Amino acid sequence: MTKRPGRFSVIGTRRPRLDGPLKVTGRSQFTDDIVLPGMLHGKIVRSPIARGRILNIDTARAERLPGVKAVLTHRDAGDFMAGPDLFLLKQEQVNFFGDEVAAVAAIDEDTAAEAAELITVEYEPLPPVLSVQQALTADAPLIHTYQDSNQADEIRMDFGDADKAFREAEHVRTDTFTVHPNHSCYSEHHVVLADYSLPDKLTIWTPIQSSLFIQMNMAFKFGLPVSSIRIMNLNTGGAFCGRGGEKPHHYIAALLSRKAGKPVKIQCTAAEEFLVYRGGGTHTFTLKTGVMQDGTLKAVDTDLLLDCGAYMDTQFIVLRFIGFSQQMLYKLDASRFRGQLVYTNNPPYVFHHGTGMVALRFALGSQLDLIACDLDIDPVELRVKNAVDKNYTTPSKIHYASCGLKECIKKAASKSGWKKKYKKLPPLQGIGIGCGVIRSGGKGMMDHDTSAAVINVGEDGKATLFTGLPDMGQGSHTAMAMIAAETLGILPEDIRVIAGDTDVAPFDMGAIAQRGTFTTGNAVKQASLDARRQIAKAAAAQLGVKPTQLVFNNRSVYAREAPDRTIPFEDAAYSTLHSIEGRYVTGKGFYNPPTQAVDTQTMQGNPALAYSFGAQVAEVEVDPETGIVKLLKMTVAHDVGRAINPLAVEGQLDGQVFSGMGQALFEECIMQDGQTLNPTFLDYRLPRTFEIPEMKHIIVESIDPYGPFGAKEVGQGPIQCTTQAIANAVSNAIGYPLTELPITPERVLAALRQSGEIAILKD
Amino acid sequence: MKKIITLEVNGDLHEVAVAVHQTLLEVLRDKLGLTGTKRGCAVGTCGVCTVIIDGKAMLACLLLAVECQGRSITTIEGISSADELHPVQQAFVDQGAIQCGFCTPGIVMTSKALLDKTPRPDDEQIREALAGTFCRCTGHIKIMEAVKTASQYERAEKKSD
Amino acid sequence: MRLLRFEHFKPSSLEEALTAMQESAGNVRVLAGGTDLLVNMKCGLEQPGLIVSIGSLPELNTIAEDPSGDLRIGAGMNLSELAENSLLAAKAPALRDAIKSIASQHIRNMATLGGNVCLDTRCWYYNQSKLWRASRPACYKTGGDQCHATRGSERCHAINSADTAPALIALGAQVVVQKKGSQRQIPAEDFYRDHGARHTVLEPDELLSGLVIPCGNETGKTHFLKISRRQGIDFALGSIAAHLAGNGSTCHSARLVIGSLGSAPIVLEKTAQVLVEAGLSQESIQAAAEAARSELGVLTTLFSSAGYKRDLAQVLVKRVLHSFIKKPTTQKRTRR
Repeated sequence: MTKRPGRFSVIGTRRPRLDGPLKVTGRSQFTDDIVLPGMLHGKIVRSPIARGRILNIDTARAERLPGVKAVLTHRDAGDFMAGPDLFLLKQEQVNFFGDEVAAVAAIDEDTAAEAAELITVEYEPLPPVLSVQQALTADAPLIHTYQDSNQADEIRMDFGDADKAFREAEHVRTDTFTVHPNHSCYSEHHVVLADYSLPDKLTIWTPIQSSLFIQMNMAFKFGLPVSSIRIMNLNTGGAFCGRGGEKPHHYIAALLSRKAGKPVKIQCTAAEEFLVYRGGGTHTFTLKTGVMQDGTLKAVDTDLLLDCGAYMDTQFIVLRFIGFSQQMLYKLDASRFRGQLVYTNNPPYVFHHGTGMVALRFALGSQLDLIACDLDIDPVELRVKNAVDKNYTTPSKIHYASCGLKECIKKAASKSGWKKKYKKLPPLQGIGIGCGVIRSGGKGMMDHDTSAAVINVGEDGKATLFTGLPDMGQGSHTAMAMIAAETLGILPEDIRVIAGDTDVAPFDMGAIAQRGTFTTGNAVKQASLDARRQIAKAAAAQLGVKPTQLVFNNRSVYAREAPDRTIPFEDAAYSTLHSIEGRYVTGKGFYNPPTQAVDTQTMQGNPALAYSFGAQVAEVEVDPETGIVKLLKMTVAHDVGRAINPLAVEGQLDGQVFSGMGQALFEECIMQDGQTLNPTFLDYRLPRTFEIPEMKHIIVESIDPYGPFGAKEVGQGPIQCTTQAIANAVSNAIGYPLTELPITPERVLAALRQSGEIAILKD
Repeated sequence: MKKIITLEVNGDLHEVAVAVHQTLLEVLRDKLGLTGTKRGCAVGTCGVCTVIIDGKAMLACLLLAVECQGRSITTIEGISSADELHPVQQAFVDQGAIQCGFCTPGIVMTSKALLDKTPRPDDEQIREALAGTFCRCTGHIKIMEAVKTASQYERAEKKSD
Repeated sequence: MRLLRFEHFKPSSLEEALTAMQESAGNVRVLAGGTDLLVNMKCGLEQPGLIVSIGSLPELNTIAEDPSGDLRIGAGMNLSELAENSLLAAKAPALRDAIKSIASQHIRNMATLGGNVCLDTRCWYYNQSKLWRASRPACYKTGGDQCHATRGSERCHAINSADTAPALIALGAQVVVQKKGSQRQIPAEDFYRDHGARHTVLEPDELLSGLVIPCGNETGKTHFLKISRRQGIDFALGSIAAHLAGNGSTCHSARLVIGSLGSAPIVLEKTAQVLVEAGLSQESIQAAAEAARSELGVLTTLFSSAGYKRDLAQVLVKRVLHSFIKKPTTQKRTRR
């Protein structure tokens, strides 16, 4: 059996997830499925007002309730900070509806709920600050009194000579776009089980994207060595970027457990789910773009107002991501960005699917279509004309070693029949395109971006792969097994992936910033090569060749020159392990991309080695009388470098289009007085089966020089394209731009009225 | 107020003492240890806790356990054998219709109930049956494909019998 | 979300159920499918001391044609079973369509017709968790003296989203209400009150036991239409049922009923009059749609703006009337 050059046995094949049988039989354990002996149930007492002073907290009745084992307030937690500006349990003031004030642990959930209701908190309500605009007025109350304004953060980025570029531009447009708040809606609600029964060991079970961050933060906050903190991340029921770090309920469960001396589980209810954790707050973009008459883009100048909510979580990172992103997709002479993050008494906002960059892409992509219209250029041509290429360096010095953007745009256009449809569709049908770019891991969160991996090969030729990379559903454990299998010349099902327990997992930053396939993938490849070298010694001796001449493929080992004489991989592993001198087969590998975080002064630099690109075409139909938009079809192209597992890549594309269509057409937290009016899956109205469009997948492989087997991310890249494609398609259908997301029926009707083209009920 | 009731779950009879305000979901998970049925929204909007009762997909979070006496309850633990996945389960695995897997048991049970009644469902029937379920990860596309694949598997199985 | 404690009684006959209700009046709720009641209880909106379980009472689980040709349906009939019932499909396809449009198959597999007819009214400020509601003073529907949805209003504006309600009224159905020792039968239209906090005429000791759909002497056709944001598992943005009787383009009688835009189904009498006077034609449909817009009266901004509701009502009237002109296609919910 000869291995043809350039062909892989495992990489690029469609592989069902290795844990599929466990998940499909209900055997996969999620945090709520874990029951420990003596386990208590915790319940958090939350603020029922958006802003106010705490006058008194009375816990006496709760403490007297039989079955209550611990009651926690600021009197216990003291000045325990759960974030830079966040007291874990509030003593003086609450700042959002849902703010944590007290907590109880009891023998069962009913008792815990009853005890929580017996805690009475007296408040003196204060006028809340409900919008960024209001927060920035001179007489707005200060949400955090140690600050001199409600501005939580401000970032400016100036790359290239923007003034010059705008002077040179022959056409300049300024538009405003708004994206309303939305919510992550994980299937698995927020839940934590903490066992801090003994003072020197804290074990946390919880759905999370990065065990490392929560482990480090817990150690720091509790003054314990990192080795005393064990994070158990068994399965995570969806994350979508929002589960990168710990949240107050994690600390509260740990403190309750310490106080009661028993493990404590806190399962958030559906009602709390919308309070605890949400997507991005309101984004308001004022976008100015300069362009030449022939469509060549010159410069973009963005002013962004971003609602932080009451406390700072991850939104300061969003601000920076957006600032960089605006000059990463199309070639520009210059890019200027000013972003302000502003405290309000809305709930604290966090990363949400697409990490804010989706909002920017909607704004930029929508404006690009307006420019196309101004200049009478086809939107697809305008994008191709300005698209970045391989080896392009952006104004902020981000560099592309591989780039399939143009191929994505062209293929999405041709497979969707763009030329036959654009401007040729019947009234009220529309077609629109959207493009995106995102990095595959890289520096920024810390000075390094390291993943390590360990692989043990047993005497039966099966391997055990240890990784610290969580799999929240994206299929990374199967992808890692495929990378290891390809390298060792065995099959993915020969590999058992051990993950989710920091006591055994190698060091890994986790499944954040689209780094899994690229960074951990490289580490797994290194570890597998290491293991292969260890086996190669014995096999080479047996075959009488040099180890470098060996081929590992399809569970066998042979010399490249003599493919007829093979040794089963199992035998090679056996004879290595059971050699007289005694050996082991344990491959170790790590990867830390040789890049540097951007310079903190100039904001320039290339933090990541690989970037992925995408383009999507949306086709819609608008009901002009009800304003309801039907998404008919999505043609989705994504440059993944190389598809490790095309089946999983398609799954990622599907999921992100689904989430993107939600953000484009359905999902909005309707806010009033700091409260969400529609905090249920029923009223929040995510799309369901009937709303799913026809999907066409196009996988573009630009073969990245640094990626494992050429692979890059497919983590949050595709969703960058979806909302703008859909918004552009709706604008195309009704002949009037949509400048707000989500595009609700009422907003469509308002746009139709503005356009004056279609009167309601005109037959 | 507690009652001792007999529940028929996956063909087995369980005698359990339950409080009358306990839902079937709580009893399945907390008393019978059948944690394959997941706890989702608990107010009937997500389909995560779907079980099959007397042939129909129902939500364990909105059923009182005491109301389930004398009814035949099937949970995700009850549809595969020791050696083999149920064709619906196999189809979900093969088609990549699983991502995080939290909603998967409920969607598998919903799909099984559909196929038991409608062995060859069309697109509209699949959408209708699954509209009460919610999968944030897969976007439902591969799930709908898996239901069609399961339908083929079941027919192939019947032929070979 | 969990339920709080209560007593549970499973009667073996309707008589037993009515006795229990009379004895505990005010502190009792009947449980049939549970898909509405248990959610409300989990949210702390209702906390009855006693639950009387009527879901499996044989008296309430019947559907039959009576000697006069009218259709009698027990309130305990399951929605999925009704959706597939051939007698209902033949006698009252509009009601069948309304039933098929309710929530999701999961919910319909559990819920009953009576439950939907009595479906509690909904509101952004009412259908919330206890914690959520603690942020505001109690409203009319939770024992207070104000309406958060329509500030300054003298009554509760929670919306009646029962999909079967407009269909039943358009069909001229009668609602059978029983209590210990007595029974009354009232037109479906009179069953509802235009008051979100007390949206039906049911007394605490009364129970909705069944519905009578006049099919015997009735001529004419009925159509139902629901427009929702999502096609599955969603309450209507607006719904409509229309019953027209006549020959060709003439129209002897017309009943148009709009659902989900107010606290009670809205019977459009003037709009119906337009059709009776002008017959059914493209022009009269347009006139009727415009008449409906002005006939609606004051609308709440709950869930959607009043303007949008008005637009939608016009669309609903137009579309439902068009379905009388068009060749009847297979009854599907409107594809967007």
